[in-house]
Amino acid sequence: MTTAPAGPRTVAPGRLIAFGLSLLGAALAAYLTYEHYTGNRTLACSGHGTIDCAKVTTSSESVIVGVPVAVWGLVFFAGMIVLTQPLAWRRPDLHRVRLGAAGLGFAFVLYLVYTELVTLHAICLWCTGVHLVTLALLVTLLMVDPWEASPP
Amino acid sequence: MPEQPNTRRGRVEAMRKREQAKQRRRTSALVAVGTAVAIVIVFVIVGATTKSTPKAAATSPANASVVAALAAVPESVINTVGAGSGVTGPTSTSGAKLTSDGKPRVAYVGAEYCPYCAAERWALAQALSRFGTFSGLGTTTSSSTDVYPSTATLDFHGSTYTSPYLVFTPYEEEDGSAQPLDTVPADIAALHTTIGGGTYPFVDLGGTAYIKGASYDPALLKGLTQAQIAQALSDPSSPVAKAVIAVANRITAQLCTLTGNQPANVCSASGVTAAASATS
Repeated sequence: MTTAPAGPRTVAPGRLIAFGLSLLGAALAAYLTYEHYTGNRTLACSGHGTIDCAKVTTSSESVIVGVPVAVWGLVFFAGMIVLTQPLAWRRPDLHRVRLGAAGLGFAFVLYLVYTELVTLHAICLWCTGVHLVTLALLVTLLMVDPWEASPP
Repeated sequence: MPEQPNTRRGRVEAMRKREQAKQRRRTSALVAVGTAVAIVIVFVIVGATTKSTPKAAATSPANASVVAALAAVPESVINTVGAGSGVTGPTSTSGAKLTSDGKPRVAYVGAEYCPYCAAERWALAQALSRFGTFSGLGTTTSSSTDVYPSTATLDFHGSTYTSPYLVFTPYEEEDGSAQPLDTVPADIAALHTTIGGGTYPFVDLGGTAYIKGASYDPALLKGLTQAQIAQALSDPSSPVAKAVIAVANRITAQLCTLTGNQPANVCSASGVTAAASATS
């Protein structure tokens, strides 16, 4: 196993930000999962609006391979929490896995944005929050130097 | 991880490499953001140019047999279905009484493309048919590009309703292409916003109760024509009747509180009193 060299006992801000973003994304995805199973069955159309969370989260596109998109999001962020938690940074070789996962997640986000804008013509703001967090996570991970000294 | 250099030249070289790596990471991040923004802009443009203003279905006058079947649901069916299950009904509210010409007023706000309105219209029209008569009812289907696509339904736009007990003022605010259709008066628009949250469908029952959204699952109407739905209403064993009549009974029970339980034969039907008990 490759380990990072010893260095100052500070945690690089980028790593903390990535961990925080993973937690935030998981919280948003958890909320959307909860709504999927309990709260969004309002069975109503939003008047006039393009902003229509119910239309997005109750559409046939909201389930992929029998699993709600929100649950996929929750699984993704749970994995990212594991990969970005402080102890995981002691293994710089994991960074490729982090980047790969974040890239995959962001590709999935682009597909979902396409579905919202082109297929459904409706936007769910909570989902947009998750999308932005995913982009921010990818950007943060791209900026982080995995070889930078880790706390012991 | 490269070894730590211990010569001055080596340290300078290592520092230069670190700076280069830092620059590469910054560039990668910028490329990611730029790519994301560019792709989203393309999606926005494609979405705007292909905007399926919900695909409008043709509207046409309702077949006389559909209207007749709607109004002629046997009392035995009403009583058998009763309050039903798996459906919702009106929610009580303590707002100001909604009246017109001295009669309780029922207001509906919806849109022709709206699939949930498509479902709710059947129950609302069936309930109102117990208190009066529709003329000029239309038929249409909900958007073919929305959830519950192309749900067969009635169309309140251009219809009139006559009743000695109630006034019914429906507004199909948007047509099948989400273009403005009926103008909602200020008093109803205010209720639609404050109580209904601006969603379709919204029904205000005399200011004493309201319905927001569909009261049953529109999927029950999937693949059925207006004629098939209307016919199914007289079969108490059909899932359509169990849902639509149950909701109609609940609406009727609420309307009976507005009309002083008139007409008596409607309000005293055991299916309606059961629905009243279920919703009270």
